[in-house]
Amino acid sequence: MASRHPSRGHAPGRWIAGAILAGAGVVTVVPLIWMAIIALQRPRAIVSPDWEFEFSWDNFAEIFAPDAVFGTQVVNSLVLVVAATALTLVVSSFASYSLSQLRWSRRTVLAILTVAGLLQVIPPMTLVPGLYVTLLNYELVGTLGGLILLNTVFNLPFAVIMTKFYFDTIPGELRESASIDGAGELRVFRAVMLPLAAPGIAAVAIFTAIQVWNEFLFGLVFTAGGTEAPITVGIAALIQPQEIKFGAMAAVGVVTAVPIILMAIVANRQIVAGLTRGAVKG
Amino acid sequence: MTTRLDTAPRTAPAVTTSTARRPFPWFKYLSVAPLAAVFAGLVAYPVGLLVWMAFGRVRLVAGEFQWESVGLDNFIRMLDDETFVVSLRNSAVFITATVLLTLVLGIVLALATDRVVTAQRFAQNLIIWPAIVAPVVISVVWLLILSPQIGLLNRVLVSLGADPQAWLGDNIGAMASIIVVDVWHWTPIVFLFVYTALRGIDTSVLEAASVDGASYLRQVRHIILPLLTPAIAGAAAIRLIMGVKAFDEMYLLTFGGPGTATTVITIYLRSVFFDSFEYGYGAALSITVVALVLAVLLLSFAVRSLIRRTSRGF
Repeated sequence: MASRHPSRGHAPGRWIAGAILAGAGVVTVVPLIWMAIIALQRPRAIVSPDWEFEFSWDNFAEIFAPDAVFGTQVVNSLVLVVAATALTLVVSSFASYSLSQLRWSRRTVLAILTVAGLLQVIPPMTLVPGLYVTLLNYELVGTLGGLILLNTVFNLPFAVIMTKFYFDTIPGELRESASIDGAGELRVFRAVMLPLAAPGIAAVAIFTAIQVWNEFLFGLVFTAGGTEAPITVGIAALIQPQEIKFGAMAAVGVVTAVPIILMAIVANRQIVAGLTRGAVKG
Repeated sequence: MTTRLDTAPRTAPAVTTSTARRPFPWFKYLSVAPLAAVFAGLVAYPVGLLVWMAFGRVRLVAGEFQWESVGLDNFIRMLDDETFVVSLRNSAVFITATVLLTLVLGIVLALATDRVVTAQRFAQNLIIWPAIVAPVVISVVWLLILSPQIGLLNRVLVSLGADPQAWLGDNIGAMASIIVVDVWHWTPIVFLFVYTALRGIDTSVLEAASVDGASYLRQVRHIILPLLTPAIAGAAAIRLIMGVKAFDEMYLLTFGGPGTATTVITIYLRSVFFDSFEYGYGAALSITVVALVLAVLLLSFAVRSLIRRTSRGF
């Protein structure tokens, strides 16, 4: 995009715009900071009606105590993220390359994109009854394998559409000249095509990883919680109406949010691309 | 994307003759096979099961599903199901409010960011945080604000001398709360959408307008907003779909309560399936909801093309 010039001669307007942005920044950050404050607050002081702050690591010590399940759940979430993201990338890059470059009929391409599009639109909850019986039949209920597959399925539509968009920009002659040089199809794909689509694939990878890390519904309904569950389900278990453990809850919230926010800062460009093209997921 | 696909010259005569001599294109088929297998085994098969379950009474006996045909009973039962009607109404209220509010706030933020050049990096970074943090964490964040005992909001109210409020414990307060949480969560998506489109607008149009002496607000109304209409419509459609899907925050903050005050469709589906174990009825409800979503989308497409056709007529 061409660089935009600031409109000149409207200083008051720009002050108002600046105030709106500052307000938005405060509204965005204050709730997150309050969670961090509660997480670092001594449990006794959390329930005190006064404004007081006693710094302590007690809440973090509690959630990572040797007998706590959170360590296992963090590991579960990490395994889930790595496996589901890898699977999504492999399946989507092969398929979208093929659909984009290997002369499929328009009807086939349209049919696959329609399935992908529908899967983006349909609320996952409505498919849960069918998925539940499916996972029972495959004996995958309550396993990480089942969650890996489900997360892959529901992230594939965005991945295929986004990666295909990148492959579509590569001229077909490139593949033809590479094959004339004697390179096999797999080598053309790996050595020529994949590097050209790398920016798209990177955006898909980061976006998918975030989606899987954040996923809650499937973890909730397809595991029994505890040591088989991902971290999001672990947080939910702390929100019991009888006795909410505010300190521990805030600490797990911080542990779950910090990697994502760091990613937002480091890989901002890929995340913005993912959000604007793949926003239907969520 | 589709236009690119439509217009791409795919067949050259010389190539067509040479394909006849080529060996069978293994790679072409194998590369799509995993995607096809996943779609068949984990989309088509479950959807088939869902339809099958919807026409039966399904019970889980010793880990095996037993199915017994009941015809259309599950669908007929829906007509007398008050909770289903309530959940549809709650979803309608929730979706209308959140879509409108996120659109307005997102557009305002995008325009403001566009005016303050130095803030662009800051805005694209910090303002999107809520949209990428886990919905579960967002629920925790807002529970720590709305909790009657320890919440930030009541602390501030009490410090200012006002009475503490129940927030999530009150019918209207609960619905208002989950709307506020959803707006906080997803305004960044609308912001990004509109801002991206805004950056694509040719600046010379705006410069010409400001040379003509048009005030900024007039430029926004008569030039910028009309140019942004496609992006805003796209953002609205996406927000609508997200509104139907919304589940995590209601499940964690209100569990559909108090009573059924915040029982939206997804919350009701979960309880029919996992609390009442009415698998057949749950499947019938699911199919109805999917049909409703698709109907609304088709309708909006139809309206859009109708508007386009009539505006071309002028």
